[in-house]
Amino acid sequence: MTKRTVDVSIPVGPVHPCWKEPARVKCETRGEFVLSAEVELGYMKKGIERIMRGRPWQEVMFLAERVCGICSVIHNMVFIEALEKISAIAVPERAALLRVIVNELDRMQSHILANFSYCYTIEHETLGMYLLDTREKVMDELERITGARVTCAYIVPGGVRFDLRAEDALHLRASLEALEKDITRYMGMFEHGPLIALRSRGIGILTKDAAQEACAVGPTARASGLPESDRRLRHPTYQKLGFTPVSREEGDNFARIMMRFQEVLQSIALIRTCLDTLPEGPIRGGGIPGEGEVAYSGEAPRGELSYFIRTDAAGRVVEISIQTPSIMNIEACCHYMLKGVASLADVPSTFVSSDPCIACTER
Amino acid sequence: MPLSIVYYAKEFFRGEWARKFLAAKTAPLVTPTYFRNYPELTGKTCTHHLFCMMACPAPGAIDVVRTPEGWMPRIHVGHCIRCGLCVEACPNGVLRSGRILESMFYDNTKLSFSFRIDVDTERCMGCGNCAVACPVNKLIDSQMSHGGRASTDDLLLKVNEGKCQVLHVEKCTGCKTCEHHCPNEAIHVARLLEAVHAPEDEL
Amino acid sequence: MTVLQSLKNFVRSKSIHVAYVDVGSCNGCDIEVLACLAPRYDIEQYGIFVHNNPREADVLLVIGAYTPGWEGKLEGLWEKIPDPKVAIAIGNCPISGCLFNRPHTLVDPPVAKHIPIAAQVPGCPPRPTEILSAILSVAPTVFKDYEVRK
Repeated sequence: MTKRTVDVSIPVGPVHPCWKEPARVKCETRGEFVLSAEVELGYMKKGIERIMRGRPWQEVMFLAERVCGICSVIHNMVFIEALEKISAIAVPERAALLRVIVNELDRMQSHILANFSYCYTIEHETLGMYLLDTREKVMDELERITGARVTCAYIVPGGVRFDLRAEDALHLRASLEALEKDITRYMGMFEHGPLIALRSRGIGILTKDAAQEACAVGPTARASGLPESDRRLRHPTYQKLGFTPVSREEGDNFARIMMRFQEVLQSIALIRTCLDTLPEGPIRGGGIPGEGEVAYSGEAPRGELSYFIRTDAAGRVVEISIQTPSIMNIEACCHYMLKGVASLADVPSTFVSSDPCIACTER
Repeated sequence: MPLSIVYYAKEFFRGEWARKFLAAKTAPLVTPTYFRNYPELTGKTCTHHLFCMMACPAPGAIDVVRTPEGWMPRIHVGHCIRCGLCVEACPNGVLRSGRILESMFYDNTKLSFSFRIDVDTERCMGCGNCAVACPVNKLIDSQMSHGGRASTDDLLLKVNEGKCQVLHVEKCTGCKTCEHHCPNEAIHVARLLEAVHAPEDEL
Repeated sequence: MTVLQSLKNFVRSKSIHVAYVDVGSCNGCDIEVLACLAPRYDIEQYGIFVHNNPREADVLLVIGAYTPGWEGKLEGLWEKIPDPKVAIAIGNCPISGCLFNRPHTLVDPPVAKHIPIAAQVPGCPPRPTEILSAILSVAPTVFKDYEVRK
């Protein structure tokens, strides 16, 4: 008598040991093979965009930061730069470079956290803990410059809040050296680990065509060979720094994690360039936001982040709409990566490799 | 072979090793000085400008209360998000948090408030409630009549030809009393916060 | 209380299992709880194991301001945790709703309305050391004088 396999719909989540945030993935399976997957959201909806309306920038700035706690700096930066674009506020050169430094530090800690989550999910806790310890060093630098670990509130219209002191710049340079050494070592460990390769290479493949079809963004798209998806290419400060995005071709879990490691190294290089070219000068230019509307995008650690803002004459936000990167990546993950995953054990790791952030997806 | 067992046993039953294995803890962690903690009082005199409350982004996080020693800002833990805007907005340096006060002194930065009053002439009925209620007006002309009409032009608000008129917006303190007293939602006060370098003469 | 029970209580209070549930926060507190796992803070040296499985947890860390999606589900999750149990509110959100407790919001803070909260850790987000010391201060009280109900 042959063993009968039946189609079973297996829900993963909302409270799952591997997931930081609640989301439910429903997998249609035949045996261990995943036929299709569907994501179910709706556990985190707070209505932030509705709360933001009718409020001045100093309140919306903090709400924008709390759209996503992991990549808080970029939300702050995109919102403030959109306001600056509306009312033509110029930013001093030094402030623009300080913004890039803080933004890249934030990107580093977000990428390292994503890689930690992946290593934790595939039960490679040693590498995960190494990465988490490295992340603490990045958080230290972030705290040293901005005064807070997670919600930094560093960028204000017309500049930044605090200057980079000379002793902090020295400390930052020294720990960048250490970080680069560590990250290169962990990258080698990840690249050459035979068991890691068994759990990551060739699993959850997102081809270039599929990535374009699913509108994947950020490291997920760049791991599938779409380097031009990086919004930093269109940012004036990054253009001045001579930024060129990196990309990989494989498009599997392994490529996505390696992509983040490479971007961390790239961020270190960017911060070094910023520190080398940091001019003396003021850090605040002043300026009060005025009336207008603008659509503005920036590159969050997870991909393209867009804000559409309309303000009234007193600079209060009348209408705001936020598009966060995770929603596209979650769609790409569920409809392209998870389809055809050979084992149910790879579902959490594939989902985590696309670095989903449920808090900013639902807001 | 037996030798190595003896060696291992000796290694593991050393008191120092056992103590380390069972009771090793990471060094006690200290909060760094540069962390923006909850704002504390520096002991300077609060002048009741309420800029801390106006700048605060969190609902119910700070209020200014009257104590026997004078006005004092009070932080509500559980509401405060430790952003430090109140420290930057305070004109007298009453509050302190992390390195913010120090940084403001070195970087020569401050947050300055300005106010903007919009009167919707379509909705304004000229009742004068705003002008009578305005505490700035009360100081300048305590004899103001109930209709909001007055002879002097030094006032912040005044009713002129049946409509409310803003005369000296720079005198506004941003208290929003007029907004609360308007029966028709015709007057709106916007508190504009600007992050600037402090002018040299204020140092 | 029997000697066996008090011995069991003592041993169990030395190995606390922790689950965390996010009921609508900004993610900032989640990653600070994760940072407690890092070798620098090393929550496991105190015998605290972050397992994130409610069925075997002793301490539930509640993060977030209670969104409508969690209505009824958080209470269900609380019932699934075996006795003895405590819940700790992490961050401003479960205490006051933080910035989200404004007109037109969807959240319904505080969480103490829905499940009993034993301790609160204010801050937006709190530092990992603050979270750690809160769990450590609550841990001895979980199993104190606990007896299996007949």
